[in-house]
Amino acid sequence: MQIERRKFLTSACKACMLAGAGFLISDLTACSPSAKVMMLPVSENAVRLPIAAFAKESMQVVHPEGWFYEIAVRKTSMNQYEALLLECTHQQNQLIVNQNGFKCMLHGSQFNLNGLVVKGPAERPLKRFTTSIDQGQVVIQLKS
Amino acid sequence: MGSNSQKTVISGYGSAFYQRNFDLHQSTVTLERAVLFLGHQFSQKISFFSELELENAKVEGGVSNNAEISMEQAFLKFNLNAHQYIIAGLFTPRIGILNENHLPVNFNGVERPIVETLIIPATWRELGIGFYGNSEKIPLNYSFAFMNGLEGQNFEHGTGIRGGRAEGNLASANNIAVTAALQYFWKNFKFQVSAYSGGTVTLSPKGSDSLGLNSGAFGTPIYLGEADVQYEQNAWSGKALGTYISYPDAGKMNTVYGNNTATGMYGAYVEIAYNWLFKKSTKASFISFARFEALNMNSSIAANGEGIYDGTEDQTHLIMGFGYLPLPNVVIKADVRLMHTGPQNPALVINPAPNALPYQQNNQFLNLGIGYSF
Repeated sequence: MQIERRKFLTSACKACMLAGAGFLISDLTACSPSAKVMMLPVSENAVRLPIAAFAKESMQVVHPEGWFYEIAVRKTSMNQYEALLLECTHQQNQLIVNQNGFKCMLHGSQFNLNGLVVKGPAERPLKRFTTSIDQGQVVIQLKS
Repeated sequence: MGSNSQKTVISGYGSAFYQRNFDLHQSTVTLERAVLFLGHQFSQKISFFSELELENAKVEGGVSNNAEISMEQAFLKFNLNAHQYIIAGLFTPRIGILNENHLPVNFNGVERPIVETLIIPATWRELGIGFYGNSEKIPLNYSFAFMNGLEGQNFEHGTGIRGGRAEGNLASANNIAVTAALQYFWKNFKFQVSAYSGGTVTLSPKGSDSLGLNSGAFGTPIYLGEADVQYEQNAWSGKALGTYISYPDAGKMNTVYGNNTATGMYGAYVEIAYNWLFKKSTKASFISFARFEALNMNSSIAANGEGIYDGTEDQTHLIMGFGYLPLPNVVIKADVRLMHTGPQNPALVINPAPNALPYQQNNQFLNLGIGYSF
């Protein structure tokens, strides 16, 4: 009886730990802004991504084919989208996306979600692309 | 694509401060650092980065009153893709918070955190190769680097392992080191763990054998472990860091070089800060902060008389002050630091009272400073 109880407690503890780990992992990955890099073809100097991609996440990171830097596209309000180049305006390093904005690991520059400088040494805001809506897609004009 | 492929960039940072030492009744003012960044982007795949530093304004005849001209960094960066790159040259590895990002506009207080000066010897730069990256799946950054090792014969009592940095100056490559770091972003937190392991004997086997020291790549090793967390939400920010150094064979080195280096050292600090202008301005900040630091550069010492305990290396510091940034790249700072140490070991006093003033375990400092980056 004691062994069964021990087995039960052990199994219950394992189940709790697994459930906890599952919850923790899902919680951790849920706030993963860099989780979904979408490779998109470039056509007529523009890339298109479906509006449906923003149903659950307000930000998507897209990678235009043939480009080195990625672009963060953020839904700011109903039918308004902001596209920012993830290239540090200080010394051209690639940026990392986090909850509060974009960070350069080289010299510590930080930009908020609107691309404005929060911490130096960068002085200029991130490069912004013109966006529009066409047939249920967000169109990012790469020459702007 | 995404920007012009060739660019040369000149930028930099600097700081100057006034310090009043109330115990010594001594005031000092100095142009602490003027650093010039020079970078060149050869292509989107290959870039060069450098930092040339002048400390304390004036170097005359090679050496002058703690002044120094040095390369703080000079490395080539090879981009593998948007998420991974390799660097090669003189660089500051990702150990602690300050070593990688040490601009005066980006840390609170006129002085850099004491723990990240005396335990983690920022800015700690060595020659080597590093691999950096971040995951596309989860918000995880990682880095791994090989570097030349520390020069154990140059460790000095009172400054931990700081004196052992070669800083690219004809460094010994007989001993090497590896370091690695992981960073994870979760909600408004950023977590980091980092570690370092390396040999500390620069001599050839012939020389070291005769002294009873283990040489080679990882001979007479030193280990450093570090963990930190940073938090930012609206006007509030905070950070906490802890680090420990283990140097198991310090006793053997002390027997040969007489440096009185400890076998164990630790440091930790917590800081909280509030930006009073967060809601009023997108550019300006007025940040008040408090930071408590505790460190011991001889938390454990070699047995059998191969190490001597010094209470003055067991320290706490409470720093409180503010920084005003009219824009993100200019800062005016003011703070006070309350310092407390353990008692002086009479066995280490060479010049006793009344020839020297009695040692004071408590001291206070007033710091005023300016800083910039661009």
